[in-house]
Amino acid sequence: MFRWLNGPGSVFRHPLPGSTNYLNAYDRNGRLHRAKGPSLEKTEQKREKDQDEDDDDEEVDEDGEIIPKKTQKIKEAKIVETKDGPPLPKENTEDLMPFPLNRQFRSQHVLSEELKDAIYERVMVEGQSVRNVSAVLGVEMNRVGAVVRLKALEKEWEKQGKPIAVSYAKAVLRMLPSTPYVPNDPITHESINDLPVHRATEIQIFHPVSESRHFTRRDAGRVFDRELKPAEDRVPHTELVQLQKWRHEGIISEERQRLQREKDSKDVQSRKVLERKRKEREAREIKKVETERSEFRFQDIRVESVGRNGRSQDGVGARYGVPHQDRKKGQIKIPRRVA
Amino acid sequence: MRKRFHGLKRIKLRQSWNKYNLFNLSRVETPKNTERTFFQQKWTAKALTRAYHGETVREKQWTRMFRRTIRSVVPMDHRMLAEKDGSEQAEGRGSGLEPPPDQKPKPFPRTPYLNMTYAPTERRLDTAIFRALFASSTRQARQFVVHGYVKVNGKKMIYPGYQLNPGDMFQVEPDRVLYATGAPKDKFERRAGRKMRAKYSKKTSMAEGSEDAEPQTPKLDPPPESTSTDKTPKETLQSLLSQAKELLATPSTSLTAKRKQDLRAFQRTVRRTLGRPATLTATSLDSQLGEIVARMTTARKAQPASPPSLAPEVPELSTPELQAEAATLDSTQLKTLRDALNDARENPVDPSKPYATPWRPREWMSAFAFVPRYLEVHQRVCAAVYLRHPVARPGLAEVPTPYGTEINTLAHNWYLRRR
Repeated sequence: MFRWLNGPGSVFRHPLPGSTNYLNAYDRNGRLHRAKGPSLEKTEQKREKDQDEDDDDEEVDEDGEIIPKKTQKIKEAKIVETKDGPPLPKENTEDLMPFPLNRQFRSQHVLSEELKDAIYERVMVEGQSVRNVSAVLGVEMNRVGAVVRLKALEKEWEKQGKPIAVSYAKAVLRMLPSTPYVPNDPITHESINDLPVHRATEIQIFHPVSESRHFTRRDAGRVFDRELKPAEDRVPHTELVQLQKWRHEGIISEERQRLQREKDSKDVQSRKVLERKRKEREAREIKKVETERSEFRFQDIRVESVGRNGRSQDGVGARYGVPHQDRKKGQIKIPRRVA
Repeated sequence: MRKRFHGLKRIKLRQSWNKYNLFNLSRVETPKNTERTFFQQKWTAKALTRAYHGETVREKQWTRMFRRTIRSVVPMDHRMLAEKDGSEQAEGRGSGLEPPPDQKPKPFPRTPYLNMTYAPTERRLDTAIFRALFASSTRQARQFVVHGYVKVNGKKMIYPGYQLNPGDMFQVEPDRVLYATGAPKDKFERRAGRKMRAKYSKKTSMAEGSEDAEPQTPKLDPPPESTSTDKTPKETLQSLLSQAKELLATPSTSLTAKRKQDLRAFQRTVRRTLGRPATLTATSLDSQLGEIVARMTTARKAQPASPPSLAPEVPELSTPELQAEAATLDSTQLKTLRDALNDARENPVDPSKPYATPWRPREWMSAFAFVPRYLEVHQRVCAAVYLRHPVARPGLAEVPTPYGTEINTLAHNWYLRRR
């Protein structure tokens, strides 16, 4: 073991400057695959191929206009400068596999600090919608939300004067592949229109239809499940599909932008209405009684909420005749959610 | 801890950054399954994969967690969705038109569903902490949780088996993270820490005897924020200088030659700055430095565009002392000064810490460093958000497992309970 650790394995002792440093990037003798001279062109070709295989996505600029996707080519083409020896080419997908036996797992790119800052800036300072930021920067919507949350936490810490682990962050980000932030043509970080595979579609169905029938995606969905909506309604960014449809209909770009804005404002309106309704319902259902010490809230509960066996999570209070199961074997007593 | 956690004879891969584990990872092979019964194959596959995934979870618990349904997604192209309604797939003889041979689309990569067998274990809090690179092993992550260094959604969570829900944010105490991921102290650093602790305890005992003394922190340097506020800039610089000296004096092998050179350059520059009393009285050194540095960067930016504009750039400084300062220090010196000053602020020498200071990542870490996509990690505050459950997508499974599809399939088969 120590022969390996001090020999070929010694390359893993310290991180490779400016690059990732995974097992699959090296051969048996501890030499970088991509640093070898003759295979350079081959890796170039392979990289091209890998990129073609990557999922294709487009980006939308600030006005909601669709522009063709910029792949990570710009970044890939960059060459890492090392102090000793010739410059290293950027790693390809093969080099990003930390487990040599598992070729289906890759270390995927993470957001760089600049990109996180840009996301926070756009959402919190410029007030853009999460949906828009997600489409423009090619970052999933829930990731955008998480970044804003985490950056807000960081700002809070700065305000409180808590020490921030800057050196750790720098060191870790240097070891990981990261998506840089290019202000004018952002690089797509991940595929934003992921369609979750519905449980009902996991089976194969033989469904004969007449030849003359125009059998669409919507119809196929209904065959699987009566409630199953077609893919264009189930993807996260339905508005991108709508934009493309308008474009296909030949609507000019100003018109499209106007339509998009209208749609956005309508969405905002409907959300506000829903929120108002929720509040109204709450005010109607919860009776508040102010005392000098505390506020009592009275709410009607339904006796059926305990479920058929009287043990449902939503049930309220101790129920006569239903013994607790918490002492029974195999009961999970750790919290299920933290609000 | 069981015996031979990282065995060298019978290879068991573990969720840890240990060098033994790295060695095992470098030489592990898929077991030869010729002339073995299906049961034997499944048994081995189960044993190998369970040694990696949730080995602290008892088998009964895991079989309850196991789900045969596997989450997956398909990335959709919104252009395709807008332009086609799906009826084109029934054209021709019923299965879509045959494209001309030169325009044949590339075959869609297969979705490695069965590599997702252990997806439920990735929901566990301790595993998520390890995946977010906040601990060097799942066992250490578990310890952090149990010892109360971890918060979920801002509340302390002491159960390592807590199943994260999508949207949950977990935080680990940054000092623990630095300890877990940082290089360990060498014996000189340990001795320095011991000495300091002894001094501190003596001081406190004396203070207790005399009167109600305010509690003194054992820290040698104040935290980076307070450096600039409660000390004069001169003192700050002096303390930084002494720190650098101390660092160079220690016979530790951990300092690289480059870093030593940087430190020496930094010492020189600080001494020069300290030698000018006139400037120190006028403004705070800190802001002065900041201003000079800012000036230097703007000047450098302006240089390629319009070289003659550089000459009036320098005299625009607020005070004549600063002007003189900018004139005397050249750009490389300033850069060194700035870098070293920043570095020393962010990453001070502090013998009271349980890790080697200034902090540097531990050895062998880089081979294990990856962050799966279902987590969004913010390293600066040592917090992460569990975005969603891991999913499989064409050509890619999000569950980090060291074994390939073959072994995972066998393991999945084992837990289907039809042996």
